[in-house]
Amino acid sequence: MDKNFKETSKSGGIIWLFQRLSAVVLFVLLMAHYVTYHFIGHGVVKYVDIIEKMKAPWFNLIQFLFLLTALYHGINGIWMVAEDYMKKKGTRIFVFSVLVMLGVILMFVGMLTIFKAGAKL
Amino acid sequence: MSKEKRVIKILRYDPANDKKPHWVDYTGEYDSDSTILDVLNEIHWKIDGSLAYRRSCRSAICGSCAMKVNGQNILACETPIHKFKGKIKIEPLPGFSIIKDLVVDMDLFFEKLKKVKPYLIVDKPLPDKEFTQSPEEFEHIRESVTCILCGACTSSCPSLWGNEDYLGPAALLRAYRFIFDTRDDGANDRMDIVNDKNGIWRCHTIFNCMEACPKDIKITEYLSRLKVKIVENSI
Ligand code: SF4
Ligand code: FES
Repeated sequence: MDKNFKETSKSGGIIWLFQRLSAVVLFVLLMAHYVTYHFIGHGVVKYVDIIEKMKAPWFNLIQFLFLLTALYHGINGIWMVAEDYMKKKGTRIFVFSVLVMLGVILMFVGMLTIFKAGAKL
Repeated sequence: MSKEKRVIKILRYDPANDKKPHWVDYTGEYDSDSTILDVLNEIHWKIDGSLAYRRSCRSAICGSCAMKVNGQNILACETPIHKFKGKIKIEPLPGFSIIKDLVVDMDLFFEKLKKVKPYLIVDKPLPDKEFTQSPEEFEHIRESVTCILCGACTSSCPSLWGNEDYLGPAALLRAYRFIFDTRDDGANDRMDIVNDKNGIWRCHTIFNCMEACPKDIKITEYLSRLKVKIVENSI
Protein backbone atom coordinates (compact mmCIF):
# COMPACT_ATOMS: atom_id res chain seq x y z
CA MET A 1 0.00 0.00 0.00
CA ASP A 2 1.52 3.27 -1.01
CA LYS A 3 -0.84 6.10 -0.34
CA ASN A 4 -0.04 9.60 -1.42
CA PHE A 5 -1.11 11.87 1.41
CA LYS A 6 0.00 14.99 -0.37
CA GLU A 7 -2.42 17.53 -1.68
CA THR A 8 0.40 19.22 -3.58
CA SER A 9 -0.67 22.67 -2.55
CA LYS A 10 2.10 24.84 -1.17
CA SER A 11 -0.22 27.75 -0.41
CA GLY A 12 -0.51 26.73 3.26
CA GLY A 13 2.63 28.64 4.23
CA ILE A 14 1.46 31.92 2.73
CA ILE A 15 -2.00 31.59 4.29
CA TRP A 16 -0.39 30.81 7.65
CA LEU A 17 2.05 33.73 7.39
CA PHE A 18 -0.70 36.21 6.48
CA GLN A 19 -2.83 34.96 9.34
CA ARG A 20 0.05 35.64 11.74
CA LEU A 21 0.83 39.07 10.24
CA SER A 22 -2.83 40.13 10.16
CA ALA A 23 -3.10 39.09 13.82
CA VAL A 24 -0.33 41.52 14.75
CA VAL A 25 -1.77 44.33 12.61
CA LEU A 26 -5.21 43.57 14.01
CA PHE A 27 -3.95 43.98 17.56
CA VAL A 28 -2.49 47.39 16.79
CA LEU A 29 -5.62 48.53 14.93
CA LEU A 30 -7.90 47.19 17.65
CA MET A 31 -6.04 49.33 20.15
CA ALA A 32 -6.21 52.31 17.79
CA HIS A 33 -9.93 51.73 17.32
CA TYR A 34 -10.47 51.50 21.05
CA VAL A 35 -8.44 54.59 21.85
CA THR A 36 -9.95 56.75 19.09
CA TYR A 37 -13.49 55.74 20.06
CA HIS A 38 -13.29 55.80 23.81
CA PHE A 39 -10.41 57.95 24.98
CA ILE A 40 -10.17 60.84 22.57
CA GLY A 41 -12.62 63.61 23.31
CA HIS A 42 -15.24 63.48 26.06
CA GLY A 43 -15.20 60.61 28.53
CA VAL A 44 -18.55 59.02 27.73
CA VAL A 45 -19.07 57.75 24.19
CA LYS A 46 -22.18 59.30 22.64
CA TYR A 47 -23.65 58.91 19.18
CA VAL A 48 -23.12 62.58 18.32
CA ASP A 49 -19.44 62.43 19.37
CA ILE A 50 -18.74 59.50 17.07
CA ILE A 51 -20.60 61.08 14.16
CA GLU A 52 -18.54 64.21 14.74
CA LYS A 53 -15.31 62.21 14.77
CA MET A 54 -16.34 60.47 11.56
CA LYS A 55 -15.89 63.71 9.69
CA ALA A 56 -12.13 63.40 10.08
CA PRO A 57 -10.53 61.27 7.32
CA TRP A 58 -7.77 59.90 9.62
CA PHE A 59 -10.41 58.55 12.01
CA ASN A 60 -12.27 56.85 9.19
CA LEU A 61 -9.03 55.46 7.79
CA ILE A 62 -8.26 53.70 11.07
CA GLN A 63 -11.75 52.20 11.24
CA PHE A 64 -11.56 51.16 7.58
CA LEU A 65 -8.21 49.39 8.05
CA PHE A 66 -9.54 47.77 11.22
CA LEU A 67 -12.58 46.49 9.35
CA LEU A 68 -10.47 45.19 6.47
CA THR A 69 -7.98 43.37 8.70
CA ALA A 70 -10.62 41.94 11.03
CA LEU A 71 -12.64 40.58 8.13
CA TYR A 72 -9.58 39.13 6.43
CA HIS A 73 -8.33 37.52 9.63
CA GLY A 74 -11.74 36.15 10.64
CA ILE A 75 -12.73 34.77 7.27
CA ASN A 76 -9.27 33.34 6.59
CA GLY A 77 -9.43 31.66 10.01
CA ILE A 78 -12.80 30.06 9.30
CA TRP A 79 -11.53 28.93 5.90
CA MET A 80 -8.36 27.36 7.36
CA VAL A 81 -10.39 25.28 9.80
CA ALA A 82 -13.26 24.51 7.42
CA GLU A 83 -10.76 23.12 4.91
CA ASP A 84 -9.92 20.27 7.30
CA TYR A 85 -13.40 18.88 6.95
CA MET A 86 -13.94 19.21 3.22
CA LYS A 87 -12.52 16.66 0.84
CA LYS A 88 -14.62 17.24 -2.26
CA LYS A 89 -13.46 19.98 -4.58
CA GLY A 90 -17.04 21.08 -5.24
CA THR A 91 -17.77 21.57 -1.54
CA ARG A 92 -14.56 23.54 -1.13
CA ILE A 93 -15.32 25.86 -4.02
CA PHE A 94 -18.85 26.37 -2.69
CA VAL A 95 -17.77 27.13 0.89
CA PHE A 96 -14.91 29.35 -0.32
CA SER A 97 -17.31 31.33 -2.52
CA VAL A 98 -19.81 31.72 0.33
CA LEU A 99 -17.05 32.99 2.63
CA VAL A 100 -15.71 35.43 0.05
CA MET A 101 -19.23 36.70 -0.62
CA LEU A 102 -19.87 37.06 3.09
CA GLY A 103 -16.62 39.03 3.37
CA VAL A 104 -17.55 41.33 0.49
CA ILE A 105 -21.05 41.98 1.87
CA LEU A 106 -19.80 42.68 5.40
CA MET A 107 -17.07 44.91 3.99
CA PHE A 108 -19.66 46.82 1.99
CA VAL A 109 -21.99 47.27 4.97
CA GLY A 110 -19.06 48.30 7.17
CA MET A 111 -17.81 50.83 4.62
CA LEU A 112 -21.28 52.30 4.28
CA THR A 113 -21.31 52.88 8.03
CA ILE A 114 -17.80 54.31 8.15
CA PHE A 115 -17.96 56.63 5.19
CA LYS A 116 -21.63 57.50 4.99
CA ALA A 117 -22.66 58.04 8.60
CA GLY A 118 -20.35 60.97 9.25
CA ALA A 119 -20.92 62.52 5.84
CA LYS A 120 -24.71 62.67 6.30
CA LEU A 121 -24.66 65.24 9.05
CA MET B 1 0.04 -2.49 50.29
CA SER B 2 -3.64 -1.73 50.43
CA LYS B 3 -5.97 -3.32 47.98
CA GLU B 4 -9.05 -1.52 46.82
CA LYS B 5 -12.12 -2.45 44.87
CA ARG B 6 -12.25 -0.79 41.46
CA VAL B 7 -14.73 -0.95 38.61
CA ILE B 8 -13.00 -1.22 35.26
CA LYS B 9 -15.02 -0.49 32.13
CA ILE B 10 -13.46 -1.66 28.90
CA LEU B 11 -14.70 -0.81 25.42
CA ARG B 12 -14.78 -4.24 23.77
CA TYR B 13 -15.16 -4.92 20.09
CA ASP B 14 -14.81 -8.17 18.20
CA PRO B 15 -15.48 -7.50 14.50
CA ALA B 16 -16.39 -11.18 14.00
CA ASN B 17 -19.32 -11.02 16.43
CA ASP B 18 -20.12 -7.41 17.32
CA LYS B 19 -21.82 -4.76 15.22
CA LYS B 20 -20.24 -1.95 17.20
CA PRO B 21 -18.02 -1.45 20.25
CA HIS B 22 -19.72 -1.86 23.64
CA TRP B 23 -18.74 -1.40 27.29
CA VAL B 24 -18.06 -4.40 29.53
CA ASP B 25 -17.61 -3.99 33.31
CA TYR B 26 -15.04 -5.87 35.38
CA THR B 27 -14.81 -5.48 39.11
CA GLY B 28 -11.73 -6.48 41.05
CA GLU B 29 -9.44 -5.73 43.97
CA TYR B 30 -6.22 -4.05 42.95
CA ASP B 31 -3.20 -2.50 44.66
CA SER B 32 -3.51 1.25 44.39
CA ASP B 33 -0.20 1.51 42.57
CA SER B 34 -0.98 -1.20 40.05
CA THR B 35 -0.74 0.16 36.55
CA ILE B 36 -3.52 0.06 33.96
CA LEU B 37 -1.46 -2.64 32.24
CA ASP B 38 -1.39 -4.74 35.44
CA VAL B 39 -5.17 -4.51 35.56
CA LEU B 40 -5.53 -5.50 31.91
CA ASN B 41 -3.16 -8.43 32.48
CA GLU B 42 -5.21 -9.57 35.49
CA ILE B 43 -8.39 -9.49 33.45
CA HIS B 44 -6.73 -11.19 30.50
CA TRP B 45 -5.07 -13.91 32.56
CA LYS B 46 -7.80 -14.61 35.10
CA ILE B 47 -11.16 -13.48 33.77
CA ASP B 48 -11.32 -13.25 30.01
CA GLY B 49 -8.48 -14.51 27.83
CA SER B 50 -10.13 -13.06 24.73
CA LEU B 51 -9.35 -9.44 25.74
CA ALA B 52 -7.02 -8.00 23.11
CA TYR B 53 -4.47 -5.23 23.86
CA ARG B 54 -0.89 -4.45 22.89
CA ARG B 55 2.06 -4.41 25.24
CA SER B 56 5.67 -5.42 25.15
CA CYS B 57 8.31 -3.63 27.22
CA ARG B 58 6.14 -2.56 30.17
CA SER B 59 8.77 0.16 30.74
CA ALA B 60 7.28 3.06 28.74
CA ILE B 61 9.77 2.65 25.94
CA CYS B 62 8.29 0.49 23.16
CA GLY B 63 5.20 2.62 22.64
CA SER B 64 2.78 -0.31 22.15
CA CYS B 65 0.41 0.23 25.06
CA ALA B 66 -1.03 3.68 24.33
CA MET B 67 -4.77 3.83 24.99
CA LYS B 68 -7.45 6.20 26.22
CA VAL B 69 -8.31 6.05 29.91
CA ASN B 70 -10.96 8.33 31.40
CA GLY B 71 -10.72 10.59 28.37
CA GLN B 72 -6.93 10.88 28.36
CA ASN B 73 -4.41 9.20 26.06
CA ILE B 74 -1.84 7.46 28.26
CA LEU B 75 0.66 4.60 28.29
CA ALA B 76 -0.98 1.72 30.18
CA CYS B 77 2.31 0.39 31.52
CA GLU B 78 3.41 3.58 33.28
CA THR B 79 0.07 4.92 34.53
CA PRO B 80 -1.00 3.83 38.01
CA ILE B 81 -4.71 3.32 38.66
CA HIS B 82 -4.68 5.70 41.65
CA LYS B 83 -4.45 8.53 39.11
CA PHE B 84 -8.09 7.92 38.31
CA LYS B 85 -11.01 8.46 40.66
CA GLY B 86 -14.15 6.34 40.48
CA LYS B 87 -14.76 4.06 37.52
CA ILE B 88 -11.86 3.50 35.18
CA LYS B 89 -12.94 3.66 31.54
CA ILE B 90 -10.47 2.09 29.12
CA GLU B 91 -10.86 2.63 25.37
CA PRO B 92 -8.70 2.15 22.28
CA LEU B 93 -6.86 5.22 20.93
CA PRO B 94 -9.32 7.51 19.12
CA GLY B 95 -8.80 8.46 15.49
CA PHE B 96 -7.64 4.99 14.40
CA SER B 97 -9.85 2.11 13.33
CA ILE B 98 -10.25 -0.72 15.84
CA ILE B 99 -8.93 -4.17 14.94
CA LYS B 100 -10.11 -5.80 18.15
CA ASP B 101 -10.84 -4.42 21.63
CA LEU B 102 -7.93 -2.09 22.50
CA VAL B 103 -5.85 -2.95 19.44
CA VAL B 104 -6.03 -0.29 16.74
CA ASP B 105 -4.81 -0.24 13.16
CA MET B 106 -1.52 1.70 13.11
CA ASP B 107 -0.69 1.01 9.43
CA LEU B 108 -1.54 4.54 8.24
CA PHE B 109 0.37 6.01 11.19
CA PHE B 110 3.58 4.23 10.20
CA GLU B 111 3.03 4.87 6.51
CA LYS B 112 2.83 8.59 7.22
CA LEU B 113 5.98 8.32 9.30
CA LYS B 114 7.81 6.75 6.35
CA LYS B 115 6.72 9.67 4.14
CA VAL B 116 8.93 12.09 6.04
CA LYS B 117 12.04 9.91 5.57
CA PRO B 118 12.65 9.12 9.23
CA TYR B 119 16.34 8.33 8.88
CA LEU B 120 19.61 10.22 8.64
CA ILE B 121 20.39 11.46 5.12
CA VAL B 122 24.05 12.29 4.56
CA ASP B 123 25.48 13.93 1.42
CA LYS B 124 28.74 15.21 2.85
CA PRO B 125 31.89 13.07 2.97
CA LEU B 126 31.84 10.70 5.93
CA PRO B 127 34.11 11.68 8.81
CA ASP B 128 36.90 9.37 10.01
CA LYS B 129 35.25 8.63 13.30
CA GLU B 130 31.77 9.93 14.02
CA PHE B 131 29.70 13.03 13.27
CA THR B 132 30.15 15.46 16.10
CA GLN B 133 27.50 17.80 17.40
CA SER B 134 27.81 20.48 20.05
CA PRO B 135 25.55 20.33 23.13
CA GLU B 136 23.91 23.58 21.89
CA GLU B 137 23.15 22.00 18.53
CA PHE B 138 21.82 18.88 20.17
CA GLU B 139 19.60 20.96 22.45
CA HIS B 140 17.34 21.76 19.45
CA ILE B 141 16.44 18.11 19.02
CA ARG B 142 17.05 16.73 22.51
CA GLU B 143 13.39 16.34 23.39
CA SER B 144 12.18 15.27 19.98
CA VAL B 145 14.56 12.28 19.83
CA THR B 146 12.83 10.77 22.87
CA CYS B 147 9.64 10.07 20.91
CA ILE B 148 8.68 6.40 21.22
CA LEU B 149 6.08 6.46 18.41
CA CYS B 150 3.23 5.45 20.65
CA GLY B 151 0.71 7.39 18.55
CA ALA B 152 -0.95 9.09 21.53
CA CYS B 153 -0.36 12.54 20.00
CA THR B 154 -1.59 11.82 16.50
CA SER B 155 -4.62 10.02 17.90
CA SER B 156 -5.53 13.03 20.06
CA CYS B 157 -5.41 15.54 17.20
CA PRO B 158 -8.77 17.04 16.10
CA SER B 159 -7.26 17.90 12.72
CA LEU B 160 -6.64 14.19 12.16
CA TRP B 161 -10.15 13.29 13.29
CA GLY B 162 -11.39 15.67 10.58
CA ASN B 163 -9.07 14.40 7.89
CA GLU B 164 -7.26 11.10 8.05
CA ASP B 165 -4.84 12.15 5.31
CA TYR B 166 -3.22 14.70 7.64
CA LEU B 167 0.33 13.55 8.42
CA GLY B 168 -0.23 14.15 12.14
CA PRO B 169 2.03 15.37 14.95
CA ALA B 170 4.17 12.23 15.34
CA ALA B 171 5.30 12.17 11.70
CA LEU B 172 5.79 15.95 11.67
CA LEU B 173 7.80 15.82 14.87
CA ARG B 174 10.01 13.16 13.29
CA ALA B 175 10.49 15.49 10.30
CA TYR B 176 11.44 18.29 12.74
CA ARG B 177 13.86 15.97 14.51
CA PHE B 178 15.88 15.42 11.32
CA ILE B 179 15.42 18.88 9.76
CA PHE B 180 16.93 20.47 12.88
CA ASP B 181 19.67 17.85 13.25
CA THR B 182 22.98 19.42 12.16
CA ARG B 183 24.31 16.03 11.03
CA ASP B 184 21.53 15.58 8.49
CA ASP B 185 21.48 16.86 4.89
CA GLY B 186 17.92 16.00 3.92
CA ALA B 187 16.21 19.09 5.33
CA ASN B 188 15.09 20.59 2.00
CA ASP B 189 13.69 17.30 0.83
CA ARG B 190 11.74 16.80 4.04
CA MET B 191 10.53 20.40 4.16
CA ASP B 192 9.19 19.95 0.65
CA ILE B 193 7.28 16.88 1.83
CA VAL B 194 5.70 18.46 4.90
CA ASN B 195 5.01 21.82 3.21
CA ASP B 196 1.60 20.66 2.10
CA LYS B 197 -1.99 21.35 3.04
CA ASN B 198 -2.16 17.78 4.40
CA GLY B 199 1.21 18.28 6.03
CA ILE B 200 2.26 20.88 8.56
CA TRP B 201 -0.43 23.41 7.59
CA ARG B 202 -3.21 21.28 9.03
CA CYS B 203 -1.70 21.92 12.44
CA HIS B 204 -3.76 24.68 14.05
CA THR B 205 -1.78 24.76 17.32
CA ILE B 206 -4.54 23.03 19.27
CA PHE B 207 -2.04 21.62 21.81
CA ASN B 208 -3.90 18.30 22.27
CA CYS B 209 -0.81 16.40 21.11
CA MET B 210 1.35 18.07 23.73
CA GLU B 211 -1.09 17.18 26.47
CA ALA B 212 -1.30 13.57 25.30
CA CYS B 213 2.43 12.91 24.90
CA PRO B 214 3.63 10.54 27.65
CA LYS B 215 7.19 11.77 27.09
CA ASP B 216 6.17 15.41 27.68
CA ILE B 217 7.60 16.53 24.37
CA LYS B 218 6.63 20.13 23.52
CA ILE B 219 5.37 18.97 20.12
CA THR B 220 3.32 22.05 19.23
CA GLU B 221 6.28 24.32 19.93
CA TYR B 222 8.55 22.30 17.65
CA LEU B 223 5.96 22.19 14.88
CA SER B 224 5.69 25.98 15.12
CA ARG B 225 9.46 26.28 14.72
CA LEU B 226 9.20 24.04 11.69
CA LYS B 227 6.49 26.28 10.19
CA VAL B 228 8.70 29.33 10.62
CA LYS B 229 11.66 27.56 9.01
CA ILE B 230 9.57 26.46 6.03
CA VAL B 231 8.18 29.96 5.47
CA GLU B 232 11.67 31.52 5.84
CA ASN B 233 13.00 29.00 3.36
CA SER B 234 10.36 29.72 0.77
CA ILE B 235 10.60 33.53 0.90
S1 SF4 C 1 5.50 12.58 20.25
FE1 SF4 C 1 4.92 11.73 22.27
S2 SF4 C 1 2.77 11.09 21.95
FE2 SF4 C 1 3.61 11.40 19.93
S3 SF4 C 1 4.27 9.39 19.26
FE3 SF4 C 1 6.07 10.41 20.21
S4 SF4 C 1 6.03 9.80 22.34
FE4 SF4 C 1 4.03 9.27 21.52
S1 FES D 1 4.41 -1.71 27.10
FE1 FES D 1 5.99 -0.67 26.07
S2 FES D 1 5.41 1.40 26.32
FE2 FES D 1 3.96 0.36 27.52
